[in-house]
Amino acid sequence: MAATEASPPQPLLRIDNLRTHLFLKRGVVHAVDGVNLHVDAGETLGLVGESGSGKSMTSLSILRLLPKHSGRIVEGQVWLDGTDLTTLSEEEMARDWRGRRVSMVSQDPMTSLNPVFSVGDQVGAPFRYHRLARGARAVREAAVKVLRRVRIPSPETRLDDYPHQFSGGMRQRVVAAMAIACAPKLLIADEPTSNLDVTIQVQMIELFRELQRDSNLGMILITHDLGVAASICRRVAVMYAGRIVEVGDVRTIYRAPAHPYTQALLASIPHLGQKRRRLQAIAGQPPSLIDPPVGCRFAARCPRRSARCATEYPPEIELASGHKVACWHPGPAS
Amino acid sequence: MFEIRDLTKHFRIGGTPLGGGHIVRAVDGVSFCVAEGETFALVGESGCGKTTIAKMVLMLERPTGGSILFEGQDLATMSGAQRKQYRRQVQTVFQDPYASLNPRLRVRTIIAEPIRAHSRPGAAALRRRVEQVLDVVGLPASAADLFPHEFSGGQRQRIAIARALALEPRCIVLDEPISALDVSIRAQILNLLADIQERFRLTYLIIAHDLALVEHFSTRVGVMYLGNMAETGPTEQVFSQPQHPYTQALLASVPRPDPDHKAPLDAIRGEIGSAVAPPPGCKFHPRCPRAFARCSAEVPAWRTLAADRAAACHLLETAA
Repeated sequence: MAATEASPPQPLLRIDNLRTHLFLKRGVVHAVDGVNLHVDAGETLGLVGESGSGKSMTSLSILRLLPKHSGRIVEGQVWLDGTDLTTLSEEEMARDWRGRRVSMVSQDPMTSLNPVFSVGDQVGAPFRYHRLARGARAVREAAVKVLRRVRIPSPETRLDDYPHQFSGGMRQRVVAAMAIACAPKLLIADEPTSNLDVTIQVQMIELFRELQRDSNLGMILITHDLGVAASICRRVAVMYAGRIVEVGDVRTIYRAPAHPYTQALLASIPHLGQKRRRLQAIAGQPPSLIDPPVGCRFAARCPRRSARCATEYPPEIELASGHKVACWHPGPAS
Repeated sequence: MFEIRDLTKHFRIGGTPLGGGHIVRAVDGVSFCVAEGETFALVGESGCGKTTIAKMVLMLERPTGGSILFEGQDLATMSGAQRKQYRRQVQTVFQDPYASLNPRLRVRTIIAEPIRAHSRPGAAALRRRVEQVLDVVGLPASAADLFPHEFSGGQRQRIAIARALALEPRCIVLDEPISALDVSIRAQILNLLADIQERFRLTYLIIAHDLALVEHFSTRVGVMYLGNMAETGPTEQVFSQPQHPYTQALLASVPRPDPDHKAPLDAIRGEIGSAVAPPPGCKFHPRCPRAFARCSAEVPAWRTLAADRAAACHLLETAA
């Protein structure tokens, strides 16, 4: 277990040895299995991985929004701003933290907005709930202001419109407005651009950059798209089968990755402008998290595996300042 | 192999059987050719009509206007027997292998279904054929007795490909064949599709929105915008020297896995227009960084720029 210090940790968010399990009928899914990471104020950390790698479960653990009966944090701490969120009661979490100091933008604006309430109602909700604006007029004004920040054209006239009257890109802006309404310190964006067309995607990426610049917001961007991560993140953490296999500065991760999985992932996607005859496919598929392998989870698919990889999980080693990798055979791609 | 001429598909939404409602111009006068053995890609944002074209090619939708010629024969005038023959030669793989495979059928039945629809093979021949195509897509013969839920996404897509191959088609329509799959699985499926194409000399018509994929995978490309073709040509040329401002903007917008790549901020504005009431003139003009007066008044003509390259933009006329 990682050290539990009494003094408040330095970074805005620090996750220590987080383990989140899902207790299902078919078994216990080790969705998040010993994750350590930190996010500083004003920086964007990219959490990159395939579906099922545990990136969304990590974010839901931070927000304490795990599936009610099956999901549970079994170990570890989530320090935000000096407080361990895992020790708070649900009441405290809802009153002072969720939506207030940490908020989230999820993938699909069609499901995160309620179709039967007007956009003004929904954007006003965080102000009402957290009592940041009193009276209908003040709430309306606050909503207009925050919609203007996410660049919804003429927000005054659009408050009474319903979500279906907005386009996909505009809906995602509305969701972003709700997330930043209470000026949180940490924003978790879970695949915020995955359902959008590329031309809308650039506009959203630009919006997130702006929001961050203006308010010193710490951000976790969850994505499976290596292109999106490269365009906004300062640091990137690569997740595989419930664990972080490599973390580092964005340039290090893209230019000199040391973990074979990161390398394989980058080699397996087509890069615009660099036509190759054949993509380097990664053989096999990710392991089941109900009964994860004891050793390195990537071992079965790894070109560099040795006997040790199958029996012992590699410790995280720091190759350079801030560049950490969990691998028995780290190094440049062969 | 295919010649698509001035193809149009309008849907009516709302209204009554007698009329009224609105017309959605999903596909609005599109022409292109697909040569035997090539991979032709249709790209564009959602709502540009690329999937509607695929459906018409597969005879799942009937065109409102224009024609699709398969080896010189119009699909609309084919006889029943010809149509059956056509369907045998043109198969498809859909986007989502979780939706495209019947969960109640064993893989054997799923793959045998198209064969049974076209002939009456003996049990032994059928078994052989099923195992043969499973082998081609890299699955063991034992897979035939399992149900789709026993496979991962990548394996399911392999089953869907095996089903498409069962009738020895000449052309496969691929509608976003990898976008529902995990990143680490995509390359496997793309490589498999490339191998199969080479081995069986297949023609592919691929529908995709991922430009990096299209560049990697296709030989010729058609860029669509709101029911119209903006630009066509050999993939390499279109991607290295895009002529239409929309193609340029689209290429500039793709987020690249390169932290030092800076996306241009003013490449494109706003969002795709409505297919019910498309903007007058060039449909792209409200978003075009280089639009001028004529663009909002006059529909740009489809112009041949060089051998095998064409685009629809007023700027290209003034340049020529």
